[in-house]
Amino acid sequence: METEKKEMASKASPSVSIAEAFFVHLICGLGLALAFLIARHVYSADLISDPSRTLFLILIVECPIVILLYSRYRTDREQCSYLKAVARGILGLLAGAIINAFGAIVLGAPIGAQYLLKTLNWSLVMSSFSVVPSACVFGSSWMDWQRLFAYTKPNGTIDHMICIPAHGAIIGAWFGAWPMPLDWERPWQEWPICVSYGAVIGYSIAMVASLAFSHARSGLQHVKRD
Amino acid sequence: MRKWNLLWPFWAITIVHGVAILIFVKGFLLTRTELPFYSRCSDVSQSPCFTSDSLSDSNPSVPPSSGAANSSRCWTKPAVNRIIIIVFDALRFDFVAPSTFFEESKPWMDKLRVLHKMASERGLSAKIFKAIADPPTTSLQRLKGITTGGLPTFIDVGNSFGAPAIIEDNLIHQLVQNGKRVVMMGDDTWMQLFPHHFKKAFPYPSFNVKDLHTVDNGCIEHLLPSLYEDDWDVLIAHFLGVDHAGHIFGVDSSPMIEKLEQYNSILEKVVDVLERQSEPGGLHENTLLLVMGDHGQTLNGDHGGGSAEEVETSLFAMSFKKPPASVPSEFGTSSCQLDLEGREICTSTIQQLDFPVTLSALLGIPFPFGSIGRVNPELYALGAGTWKLEGMKVGNYINSREQEEWMQNYVNVLCINSWQVKRYIDNYTASSVIGFSDEDLLHTGSLYADAMENWSYISKDLLSNSDGMDVVPSLKRQIDAYSNFLASIAELARSKWTEFNLKLMTLGFGIMVASLFVHFIAIKRVGKQCGSSFATEDCGTTFELMLSCFMVAMRACSFLSNSFILEEGKVTSFLLATTGIFMLRYSITKQKHFLNVFIFLLLMIYCRFTIEVGLLKQADTSAFLKAYPSWVLEIASLLPGWTYITKSVPIIALILLAQLLLKNITSSHSKGVWKFVMYGTILCYILIGFHWALENEVLHFASAIEGIGKNCIPRIIYAIGLGQLSLLLFRQLFGEDKLLDCRITLLTKTAAMLAAWSPTIIILAGKQGSLVALASLIGGYCIIGMDNLKHGEDGNGRILTVDCLPVTQWSLFAICLFFSSGHWCAFDGLRYGAAFIGFDEFVLVRQAILLTIDTFGFSVILPIFGLPFIVAKKYSSSQASKGENTLFMRLSQAYLMYGLIMAVPVTASILCVIIQRRHLMVWGLFAPKFVFDVVALILTDVSICLATLYYVPHPDSC
Repeated sequence: METEKKEMASKASPSVSIAEAFFVHLICGLGLALAFLIARHVYSADLISDPSRTLFLILIVECPIVILLYSRYRTDREQCSYLKAVARGILGLLAGAIINAFGAIVLGAPIGAQYLLKTLNWSLVMSSFSVVPSACVFGSSWMDWQRLFAYTKPNGTIDHMICIPAHGAIIGAWFGAWPMPLDWERPWQEWPICVSYGAVIGYSIAMVASLAFSHARSGLQHVKRD
Repeated sequence: MRKWNLLWPFWAITIVHGVAILIFVKGFLLTRTELPFYSRCSDVSQSPCFTSDSLSDSNPSVPPSSGAANSSRCWTKPAVNRIIIIVFDALRFDFVAPSTFFEESKPWMDKLRVLHKMASERGLSAKIFKAIADPPTTSLQRLKGITTGGLPTFIDVGNSFGAPAIIEDNLIHQLVQNGKRVVMMGDDTWMQLFPHHFKKAFPYPSFNVKDLHTVDNGCIEHLLPSLYEDDWDVLIAHFLGVDHAGHIFGVDSSPMIEKLEQYNSILEKVVDVLERQSEPGGLHENTLLLVMGDHGQTLNGDHGGGSAEEVETSLFAMSFKKPPASVPSEFGTSSCQLDLEGREICTSTIQQLDFPVTLSALLGIPFPFGSIGRVNPELYALGAGTWKLEGMKVGNYINSREQEEWMQNYVNVLCINSWQVKRYIDNYTASSVIGFSDEDLLHTGSLYADAMENWSYISKDLLSNSDGMDVVPSLKRQIDAYSNFLASIAELARSKWTEFNLKLMTLGFGIMVASLFVHFIAIKRVGKQCGSSFATEDCGTTFELMLSCFMVAMRACSFLSNSFILEEGKVTSFLLATTGIFMLRYSITKQKHFLNVFIFLLLMIYCRFTIEVGLLKQADTSAFLKAYPSWVLEIASLLPGWTYITKSVPIIALILLAQLLLKNITSSHSKGVWKFVMYGTILCYILIGFHWALENEVLHFASAIEGIGKNCIPRIIYAIGLGQLSLLLFRQLFGEDKLLDCRITLLTKTAAMLAAWSPTIIILAGKQGSLVALASLIGGYCIIGMDNLKHGEDGNGRILTVDCLPVTQWSLFAICLFFSSGHWCAFDGLRYGAAFIGFDEFVLVRQAILLTIDTFGFSVILPIFGLPFIVAKKYSSSQASKGENTLFMRLSQAYLMYGLIMAVPVTASILCVIIQRRHLMVWGLFAPKFVFDVVALILTDVSICLATLYYVPHPDSC
């Protein structure tokens, strides 16, 4: 029963070629770079000097890109229009932000009026890295969510594209928190600067990794088909 | 026999740990050899210096000291006859110095106004010094340092509770030997250090930190009358109020300010009395008044470490003799500022190390044999009554004749000083197994030889032509040469006194690492025993094993950095929360126990907040306000029922605990003894609630009831706890288990054991105790629940071996509890107040036991005695048919794992102490951490041994 459903789901999802995945990731990466460039040249700010504005810029640039791109790969095309996918992406952004913020606070993110805006922006950015793509693609399909985020068994290129960068961002952020207690007294040790750097770096590495995975998988499948 | 077969590894591991730690400590914690040599008056003839007699013969114009001192000339010419030393324990520098010396004026500054007045009006004869103490800054070590002039070592910190008499040569000994009469009043630590030295003593008990007034009032009572008497030469009055006020209320508090105001009025009276008798021929014609602190304190009132706030204390010196002459100021470190009233006040810096030798020089007695300090020119000049501020402004050569005399005298004192220090260093190297390194000895030796050679030329010049030639520059050079030598010795002593024995340290570490392997093999062995009786199977999923190994390794590695040690609580809660998030993943896959995991995550939020509050308390009280801005406090105070809420929450938590226990009693099959024990615990909870209610200001009780309740209730609770434990022990020894189900017996035993411990731990922990207890209960429940989560569907999959992840979580949670109950790994993190709950007087063993229970109750005792829950809850009754012994094998395996998880970080902290042994913060941070870890490890091992002995029954009975 369960396997049948899974097969159905995978059949319904449009097949994505490696080249397409590459372009999606490339655009996402370029979006990130663009956000940093805008921050630097237009507002002459970066993560260190003005974390909450920079994070907000990243959100503004990256989030629409992610929503618009990933909504194209929504699984249930018959019931779900493109606009609906975009809408659930936005919904996913908010829900993901709450989950991310909760996780950060559980792990020890500081709380206080001066951190409120930073935490909000950070969790929105984290949400757009981790939750939004799968919200756009899978919507409320609990099975797919479970497959990706609980069992971590991605199946196919689109799964790789969603699952690996999301995990990369979260693991990167986790490791990014480690330098925070050190007594180097650098400005970037503040919450959420190094955590954001960790997330961005993890996300970028994971995008490359997801491409590599997809490539290896497709190669394997070709071999199997032969 | 079967039982012993299961239990002997625990005892073996405990012994190995003990041996390893003992060897390591022997190599690491510094021990300074105390030499049994004493300085004598006649020794000075061996020195190449002038004796005081020959000097005064050659320079008859040196200001004559008063007639009484002439008869007893010894090493130096006596400059003062009487000294009054008023010690204010934990006197910060900013208590004494005017607020203009600091960036910000704080409420506790400018309270000792009489000192400002004297320092400004009598700049010639009164001066404020910043005295730099050496860590460890505990009172006993500092008193030892102040009197011996040595560097008391870290190992002595342990003696702070039972101060042993000083056997080294010291100032007080020299005073008594040379016929000075010493009167002491105040802190009774002095009596423990010098049991037979004082002519008169008025000691008062010092260990009850809650008592702000007994010692001080006793001092005041005896101080002023004594000033009119002439039956003493040195008077020591040691006030403790400021120290105690700091410990209990912190620096920024009204009791502290009241104390300072009180001291100000006392000092005013003292100065007034002395001044009235300071006319020529008066009782205090040639008296030196010293007001000093033994160490500083942080804003929390803590001290012991080496931070600037703790080591910077102050010294105020005032001579009642009119200063006759002037002396150049090159040797001083003065800085001057206007105070609030526009008066100019100068302060200087002095090393506390220099204090005893300077005092000896002033009094003309032999310097203590083991002193490595230098005679401080400013303090010495002040006492000698020849220091003049105008002189230094106009130039050095106005009063050149007097200046020259003073310098000659000072050079001679330094000469004796250098000779004495050299003698000590040589003797020390000869008689101690591990002395100073040859290289350093050669260096200081050459400095000394140069200085002495130079001195022989100058002294020839001085003796041959007493006038005509300007000898001041050469004298100055000479002073510099001696100062160089003495400074290099002090530096050498400070850096090298720590006699690390690297061989022993490495050996201890090696044994510790070996014990880890033994531990690991023991786990495997138990696993194999389990496996051999049943089907073989692989032990646990690799992912869980990897995760727990990763967590333990991360924690162990984090000890290599001082910042991570400071924030250990946060790091631990971070790791624990991470495992919680992994559990969330599991619960999503299994689609159950979601609420359980969620509660665990919420509990982690609670933990991290309490840990942060603890950290802030450790760092600074003002930081607390910075991190939690004022609006939080404002809202808190605006809420009408806030005080009621804060006061009722602990009691509500207590009621919840009692209710849970009651539920446990009614639901389980506990009978007889177990039931009895649990009802005893509920009675204790009621008593605790009553005890707290008595402490409330909200409810007003007659003071008589309060007085009884304050001490009686805790004692009753301790007694009930002891009774419960002995009852359980009795049951274990003589009772027979009639219940067939081992699992239920084990659960009942565990619950009864925890119930017996909990009231004592809760009352010692104070009001937060019930909250922490509730948190630990919920945490334990969640961890067990999450453990079941993974195995619910596996059926018989991996029932035989214990999973390491819940045990890891259990231990991480225990460490979180240590920090969230307001402790941290430093000696100022010990809650000394807890040792006095129920008792007012100090008895070493009793108070030490209470302090240990308070410190490690939540983090060692409860988790270890509660560990069987993990095993028993998972062990369903269907598996019981497979054999009773499996349960206890798994239990012992769980205990082995727990022990290993605790031992790995300790090994890491030993390694980091080896690596960081020359680190700046080794005594402030790494050593306390090491001591706490080691004590916790030994306690863990012993508790595990006892717990297994208690829980594992005889094979035939169950």
